[in-house]
Amino acid sequence: MRNRLAGLFWSLLFLAVPVLGVAVFAVAPSIDVWLPKDVSAHGKEIDSLFYFILALTGVVFIVTEMLLFWFIWKYDVAARGEEKATYIHGSHTLEVIWTIIPAVVMLFLAIYQMNAWADVKMRRPVMKPTVEVVARQFEWRLRYPGPDEELGTPDDLFLVNDLHVPVDEDVLVQLKSMDVLHSFFLPNLRIKQDAVPGMKIPVWFKATETGQYDLVCAELCGWGHYKMKGRITIESREDFDAWLEQKYREQEATQPNPQEDML
Amino acid sequence: MSTVTHPGPGDTTTVAPAGSAKPRPIAEFLSTYVFSKDHKVIGLQFLFSTLVWFLIGGLLALAVRWQVAWPWSDVPVLGKLFAQEGGQMSPEFYTMLFTMHATVMIFLVIIPILAGAFGNFLIPLMIGADDMAFPTLNMLSYWFMWPAFLAFGASFFVEGGAASSGWTSYPPLTTNPAASPGSGMGQTLWLIGLTFVGVSSMLGSVNYMTTIILMRAPGMTMFRLPMTIWAMFITALLQAFALPVLTAAGFMQLFDRSIGTGFFSPEGSIINNEMTGAGGGQPLLWQHLFWFYSHPAVYIMILPAMGMVSDIMTCFARKPLFGYRPMIYSVAGIAGLGFIVWGHHMFISGMNPALGMTFMVSTMMIALPSAVKTFNWLGTLWGGRIQFTTAMLFSISFVSMFIIGGLSGIFMAATPVDIFIHDTYFIVAHFHYVLFAGTAMGVWAGIYFWFPKMFGRTMNEFWGKVHFFLTFIFLNGTFFTMHILGAVGFPRRLADAYHYETFHHLQPMNAFMTYCAIGMVACQVIFAANFFWSMFYGPRAGRNPWNANGLEWTAPSPPGHGNFDVQPIVYRGPYEYSVPGCEKDHLMQTDPPLETAVAAAH
Amino acid sequence: MSTSAIAAGSEFADGGHHDHGHHDHGDHGDGHHGHLKLQYQPGLPLSRGKLIMWLFLSTEIMFFAALLGSYVVLRFGALQWPKPHHVHLSEPIGAFNTFVLICSSVTVVLALEAAKANKASLAKTWMMLTLALGSLFLGVKGYEYQAKFSHGIYPVKPMGLVHEKPDLYYGSAVRARLSDPMILEKIAELDGMSETDLNAEEIAGRKSLAEVKRLVNDPAQEAFDLAVVADQIMPLPAEAGSHGGSHGLNDTFAWLRLPVVIPGGNMWASTYFLLTGFHAVHVAVGLLVFAILLTYQLGPATAGMIENAGLYWHFVDLVWIFLFPLLYLF
Ligand code: HEA
Ligand code: HEA
Ligand code: CUA
Ligand SMILES: [Cu+2]
Repeated sequence: MRNRLAGLFWSLLFLAVPVLGVAVFAVAPSIDVWLPKDVSAHGKEIDSLFYFILALTGVVFIVTEMLLFWFIWKYDVAARGEEKATYIHGSHTLEVIWTIIPAVVMLFLAIYQMNAWADVKMRRPVMKPTVEVVARQFEWRLRYPGPDEELGTPDDLFLVNDLHVPVDEDVLVQLKSMDVLHSFFLPNLRIKQDAVPGMKIPVWFKATETGQYDLVCAELCGWGHYKMKGRITIESREDFDAWLEQKYREQEATQPNPQEDML
Repeated sequence: MSTVTHPGPGDTTTVAPAGSAKPRPIAEFLSTYVFSKDHKVIGLQFLFSTLVWFLIGGLLALAVRWQVAWPWSDVPVLGKLFAQEGGQMSPEFYTMLFTMHATVMIFLVIIPILAGAFGNFLIPLMIGADDMAFPTLNMLSYWFMWPAFLAFGASFFVEGGAASSGWTSYPPLTTNPAASPGSGMGQTLWLIGLTFVGVSSMLGSVNYMTTIILMRAPGMTMFRLPMTIWAMFITALLQAFALPVLTAAGFMQLFDRSIGTGFFSPEGSIINNEMTGAGGGQPLLWQHLFWFYSHPAVYIMILPAMGMVSDIMTCFARKPLFGYRPMIYSVAGIAGLGFIVWGHHMFISGMNPALGMTFMVSTMMIALPSAVKTFNWLGTLWGGRIQFTTAMLFSISFVSMFIIGGLSGIFMAATPVDIFIHDTYFIVAHFHYVLFAGTAMGVWAGIYFWFPKMFGRTMNEFWGKVHFFLTFIFLNGTFFTMHILGAVGFPRRLADAYHYETFHHLQPMNAFMTYCAIGMVACQVIFAANFFWSMFYGPRAGRNPWNANGLEWTAPSPPGHGNFDVQPIVYRGPYEYSVPGCEKDHLMQTDPPLETAVAAAH
Repeated sequence: MSTSAIAAGSEFADGGHHDHGHHDHGDHGDGHHGHLKLQYQPGLPLSRGKLIMWLFLSTEIMFFAALLGSYVVLRFGALQWPKPHHVHLSEPIGAFNTFVLICSSVTVVLALEAAKANKASLAKTWMMLTLALGSLFLGVKGYEYQAKFSHGIYPVKPMGLVHEKPDLYYGSAVRARLSDPMILEKIAELDGMSETDLNAEEIAGRKSLAEVKRLVNDPAQEAFDLAVVADQIMPLPAEAGSHGGSHGLNDTFAWLRLPVVIPGGNMWASTYFLLTGFHAVHVAVGLLVFAILLTYQLGPATAGMIENAGLYWHFVDLVWIFLFPLLYLF
């Protein structure tokens, strides 16, 4: 008879995987290492999908890891005595079951999430762009259309890294890149979109709360990638208009012809 | 122990070239151990080279971790090596570190250790062949790794440093030297190295397939092959069909860089305030071509490990593999589906969102064959007589960890969720779970398991278990926490993320992970010591130290030139453990049919 | 690492086999390892050489599939794409080359048949013809490349003269070329000649050159003027004319080599040279193989090798059958 202790030790080690795994996910939100605050209209959908998948995979995780633990605990050679291992080559029924059930689950998941995807990336609101964002190494160049609401006219307003948008309104960003790939990432608005040179990509969202948040570059764009940092300020329509007005006046005063270095 | 040796009476006289009855010792040495055409020697050459690179890749990972935990602080020990500003790294140095870490790990460690080391060593032995179908080609496939070793190695020392645009090497960052310091000579060497790795893999894969199709021992039908061989076979198929695409793309990128074609550079970009000249190309085209290869490549990096784990697990559970055929079909299914899911790396790349939806569906489907595999492994453990050898522990942990890595894949396959977690540490967690916690664990299982066959001696079990225990603890400490970093949106590839308000509070956690990573690399000393010590002083192993069933265990340990001293004839599949009515608890593939065996025993 | 390998090797010695000194086994896998000759159960009724050839060709198929796929994506994603005659592609020459390559595929089959029938010298003749046809293909390809180069269409940046549109950059490139001292000298020489020394075309050319000079140096020049300049240097008619639409200044005075405008021309050149270049490399490798085969006695013993070389050659032929319509006809 072999030493049963070794088997128990190793089984418990593998039991620790689901136990600690779940614990980490349980504790994380309470120490604020969790999804950042969501201030967008579509973010709820994404977050609830995240939780849904977390629950689903969580169940699969716990069940499979517990089975693994249970089997190595129970079928440890030291616990089996003289009994032989079961001579079995498989089970057709089981194979069918554990193919069909995940298939149904995955198919459901695939179809279930299509709507959220379409909301964020396919159902573009019919409107003129609120702002054009041009990424370049290593800053975000912003261009507001100005009073005439048309981009590419002389009254455009040019800014760098300081993105302002009105709250509770659809915002349409026209995303471009001047040089290499970048990615327009607003963690708190659950928005991420690569900026590709040679392409004009629309990005839209609706912010639901005022505040200031990070704008992160999420695609490696060179040595300065880490510091390609912007800010997004979500404010009321009045504040937003006032801010535009003020920036516009500042621009008139300092830069007579700002388009020049924008091309 | 190899007590029975083939006498080979005519050997030396018949084959030695006439006139040189006594070959010069140096020439003999070179042809036996360096330019050997013997698949076992070539396999070991691959093994040693990749282990050395594994160490290098691990040290690069430590440097990465150091910067992530304590940005811009002086790096101890390693800092002296690149002593700029007193051992503090620059941001471009950081990008180079993770680029080369990934390049080394993927192209110089995991792929060659699975296909090159284990594939070479095991395929002929496990199917009953004396060697590969084309030994010279096989030797070349190893020697084509050397230009790659040299190119990647040298690139650290060229102007501007090694490649530093991520292992994905996305243009235009990589096609325009003005865009990044590492996009100069370093990137060119990177592409050259990649091409050589590609040629090496191509030579290997066509050879493996030919060998497996044509050189199986009598009775070894396809459906009696061990899972390892099935996995190697399908992996070779994947390589043969996916890799040429990357090679083609690599050439295109090389031309964009060197002679000014514009495949991947769009019109009218301005880099560093300079017009990039006429383009008209498409940056996304590279991504499509790259992932067309690199998605199948991630399965190239796990299927052989899955195969080895299946074989090891049945041996130490003393049980037939649960669902042998479903296991084979699911490997084939993973490989087949693997060709139509590449777009899941490009959900937010600007690719047509409708296309993203179709890729999402196919990606979800690829979980199915993986599910089948997982459940069948569990089924294999169920009702077994489990022996906790080191190899078995690594195998069990492979399954346990693959579940984690696979399940995190589901989050990313969900397009809306991927919008948030793409390019965050969630992805980093995912692929380290499948690659390190999965494949590398499988590799260790394989090393502990086949070591006796390779060197005729067994590794020390106690120290093996210590190695396993520490690696297992530290790896989870390092990588599990990455999931929740990812949930915060903590971006990957950032030299310093703490100046963002959103991520500022994550530094202590990163420090914890770095401590674990240091522990993880440090405890490999135990492995290295055990490995080398056992090679010379380990207890001698007989032909079949584990009482396993495969053909390789009928050959001497280590097998001589030509592998077998008796013609192997195969009577059954590889997993006949604990057969009722049989006295031994295992029936080797070559044991004569049971009736006679039983009759003979009585 | 090598010390470890030695150690590994010494373990082999412990394994007790006695076959040092014979590492010169043939590569073609006849299992003649001098010791136990193992028996196998092949899964396919194919020789090793043929199977590995087929497998190798499947990797090649993927290689060209990637190149062709990229071509299709780039071409249909491009804003503009030149017509064949804008870039001096001649369909008849392409068709002729296709014919040459198909013939060579036939001759290699004939060589194989002859070898199988043990008619060595006949086989050699067919093989020689294959080699000749393949070389002819490469020769024609070279001639075609030359035609591109002579019009300034290069895949290589500094030598290429192609501009995508008649913009400011184009204007300054023409101006720069026209102020090159060597060109200035030539122009002065041309201006100094009397009309009797020149043919009608050259007289007209001289006029239009003067016009071009005036337009590019005119400070008040407009985009429209540059379009005129481009048209003078190399007109791009909608339909292929008798001269393939290429009769501009650059044709009249070959030494001029003024920058030209071909919308989409650079990407066209990139893909054209990429595809035909890799194809030509494969042709060249095939020729090398044939040349090596010619040093053998071509009988039944070598039929296997000829067959494999032939398989490869058919593949190279097949790739061209795809390339020709894609590049020349559409
Ligand atoms: C060995 C390597 C390996 C393996 C096996 C996998 C397996 C999978 N991967 Fe992973 N992947 C990588 C290596 C690997 N991956 C790498 C290196 C990257 C990053 C590249 C880079 O950007 O640098 C990556 C990135 C990556 C992305 C892109 C993320 C992004 O950049 O935004 C996605 C998206 O879909 C993805 C998905 C999947 C899925 C669905 C699987 C599936 O095959 C997993 C299937 C397995 C299971 C699901 C678990 C077992 C099943 C069960 C227990 C059954 C029940 C389950 C359910 C019902 C849910 N992977
Ligand atoms: C097979 C692949 C593989 C492996 C094994 C690893 C292993 C590790 N990786 Fe790696 N990693 C990648 C593939 C891999 N990684 C990829 C593809 C990326 C993405 C890069 C990109 O963004 O472009 C990445 C990126 C990456 C990052 C993110 C960087 C960033 O985005 O900013 C980090 C950070 O923590 C990291 C850490 C680690 C650590 C701590 C390990 C540790 O597990 C390392 C442990 C190492 C050892 C334990 C060495 C063991 C040595 C031996 C066994 C040798 C013994 C010697 C003899 C016997 C001679 N990796
Ligand atoms: Cu811009 Cu990263
Ligand atoms: Cu993938």
